Amino acid sequence: MNDIGEFSLLLALATALYGCVAYVMSARGNRIDLYLSADKTPFIVWGCVALSSVCLMRGFLTNDFSLQYVWAYSNIELDTFYKVSSFWGGQKGSLLFWTLLLSSYMLVVHFQNRKKNLRVVPYAMAVMLVIIVFFLFLINFSTNPFERIPLPPEDGRGLNPLLQNYWMVIHPPTLYLGYVGFTVPFAFAVAALISKDLDDGWIRMTRKWTLISWFFLCMGNLFGASWAYVELGWGGYWAWDPVENAAFMPLLVATAYLHSVMIQEKKDMMKVWNMSLVLLTFAMTIFGTFITRSGLIQSVHTFDEATLGYYFLAFLFFIIVSCVGLIISRLPLLKSTNELDSFLSRESSFLFNNLVLLGIAFATFWGTIFPIISEAVRGVKITVGPPFYNQVNVPIGLALLALIGIGPVIAWRRATFSNLKKNFLRPVAAAIIAAVVLLPFIPLGSRTEIYTYITFVLCVFVLTSILTEFYKGMVSRMGLHDETAVGALATVTWRNKRRYGGYIVHIGVVLIFAGIAGSQAYGTHTEKHLKIGDSFEIRGYTITYEKLVAVEATNVKTRIIAQLAVERDGKRYWTGHPEKEFYKGQNQPVSEVDVLSTWKEDLYMILADFREDESATIKVYVNPMVSWMWTGGWIIAFGSMISMWPDRLEQRRRLERVRRQDHLFPSPAQE
Amino acid sequence: MKHLKVLTGLFVLVWISMGQVTTASAGAVLQDLENALMCKCDDKCGKVLLNCTCSTSDKTRAKFSKMLESGLTVDQIIKMQVDEYGETVLSAPSKFGFNLTAWLTPFVALVAGGFGVRKVLLACVGKKDDSDSAEAPGAETEISGKYSKRLKDELDGIEL
Repeated sequence: MNDIGEFSLLLALATALYGCVAYVMSARGNRIDLYLSADKTPFIVWGCVALSSVCLMRGFLTNDFSLQYVWAYSNIELDTFYKVSSFWGGQKGSLLFWTLLLSSYMLVVHFQNRKKNLRVVPYAMAVMLVIIVFFLFLINFSTNPFERIPLPPEDGRGLNPLLQNYWMVIHPPTLYLGYVGFTVPFAFAVAALISKDLDDGWIRMTRKWTLISWFFLCMGNLFGASWAYVELGWGGYWAWDPVENAAFMPLLVATAYLHSVMIQEKKDMMKVWNMSLVLLTFAMTIFGTFITRSGLIQSVHTFDEATLGYYFLAFLFFIIVSCVGLIISRLPLLKSTNELDSFLSRESSFLFNNLVLLGIAFATFWGTIFPIISEAVRGVKITVGPPFYNQVNVPIGLALLALIGIGPVIAWRRATFSNLKKNFLRPVAAAIIAAVVLLPFIPLGSRTEIYTYITFVLCVFVLTSILTEFYKGMVSRMGLHDETAVGALATVTWRNKRRYGGYIVHIGVVLIFAGIAGSQAYGTHTEKHLKIGDSFEIRGYTITYEKLVAVEATNVKTRIIAQLAVERDGKRYWTGHPEKEFYKGQNQPVSEVDVLSTWKEDLYMILADFREDESATIKVYVNPMVSWMWTGGWIIAFGSMISMWPDRLEQRRRLERVRRQDHLFPSPAQE
Repeated sequence: MKHLKVLTGLFVLVWISMGQVTTASAGAVLQDLENALMCKCDDKCGKVLLNCTCSTSDKTRAKFSKMLESGLTVDQIIKMQVDEYGETVLSAPSKFGFNLTAWLTPFVALVAGGFGVRKVLLACVGKKDDSDSAEAPGAETEISGKYSKRLKDELDGIEL
């Protein structure tokens, strides 16, 4: 089977190479025979990569330690659940997994579009195949997952204990689905540039793909934060690690693109800008991969055998140079004749939204690469950690939050003073009331507290602005039709999925902002060394250390579990079981925290240390409003689902628009 | 343009002064000290001391507590750490010399971007307004005040 897997990869590479050439030649020479031949390659490439993946997965499930990769990331005792996740646990498997996802996406794109725009689609397929060729080249010749060990050992080295968490089974695939997904809009953008077919056709063809990729990237980031929160045991969820930044940056740029693309759809403007954003989003995904696999920047996420950095750097350079060259060569075709109607309009608010989003992305990028720049200039590799990002990004983030509230209430095309007064009255009034009401309760002694106060006030402003939009839509619907309030609200949302789905996403973002602000400003923690029966208090909770238990979970894993009784107002409220897990062959034990999560706050317990006399060091955090963030994440997921749901009405409206345009500007044949 | 410059200047001033407030109020709080320094464990975990959970970080925290109790200030302890490990022990670049570029560049880029957006808007909106006024100078006057107001209200409420 391993030979089959290895051969499949070679076959996939050869087929993908042929596909690239054949697609381009068919498009350039209008050769239908070549096109039909090339059109078989997506399926063959996918088949080969899928077969190879099955072979590697079989290696994990059957404990085939003759495969160096299986030996390095699995062992006999490992749960089947984690054997599956070991597939992408290391560099070799993760690249194969990336290629599998990319070829699967390509196959779907192929089936969706093969009978559509034959000027753009062949080039788009060729671009995707070029990217697949790059990955297959690395897999075949630099980091082959089917590399053998001549004398196979009896057992494997096992998966890093930190990766043995259910979030790690979900988080990397979700993130990869987002990363890889942005290849599709990128491929169509490049194809549109090559074919000079630069109307908004490529945007329409890839709109769903962009939304889906954005959704997965967003969820991937949140799942990663959840994993850090429950597994790393430091009481936080985001550490501004370079690899976290690498996943965050494309999300920001893609968010900017999702907004600015609306201006192109509505006004046929900002074509160069949108092209650039798509290119930048894809470049950021490759940059993220470069960081993880170069070993240049120190990160907890870096793969053990991070040796592929220069390949990715070269690929990134190739992408940027060729795409920038293409955009420059097509500049005359990308110029728009339309203009903005007013300074005060939703279009201009989107421009500022783009500026702020890219500002945060740039600050994050700058902080990530500054250690390299510093080393090059001064010979000192300095550290850029959370204090830098918090101080730089928080004020810009607050500007973004304000813009989320301004966007929905400012009119498209031209906002007048009366219109602004009417639309802003409620949100501004609500924000002023919130500012006055919150003032006595929120101390303003430090920068964090001032920022938190501003965040809460802005959250109220944004929520009111969004809810006002829902209310206006509902009332308008109720006035026209005999519907209940709930029915009208549902109909309005369902009939304008994109708009109201977007608003729901914004509500989720507001909750995330509030959760971050609350947990950063008002969290507290304490660390106590306790003997059995000892108690201590933290923010109204009385915590008593009851017992310490050792459990031989498996042949390779021993769990040391502390039992802590939590009392509130004299009554037993909850029992916490933080633990430490010891894995055979691993130097450091892994902390498994226990969290009591409520809407108000999280009680977060860590067993930091223990001794033979059963005394233990217990660390307890009280993190307010953390659950707001996770709730915000689910609301984003819900809103994204609504936005992504196929909208027949929108399609009909678009057709109507096209028909009207055809009527106004008849083609020569009609004339 | 003048107002924009004044606003930008004010923004930078507020931002810097907020940074000063924090530094001044940090005092001898162990948490702030832990946040200012990286963990120097053998695993090279790359975490801020505050976030690190390894055994080295526990020992370092205990050492810092004792140092603070002995009367050393946060700044003195930070300086001692920098002398021992070099600048890499700091969790963020210092705000002088070349490192200042780390702090200023994002804001300079943002302000430059802001000017760029302003320029784009001025160019785009200006043209449209000029062409509008040039195309239909008489038509505007023909519409009565009543219909003009109605049209304006309709346009205000329109959602494309």
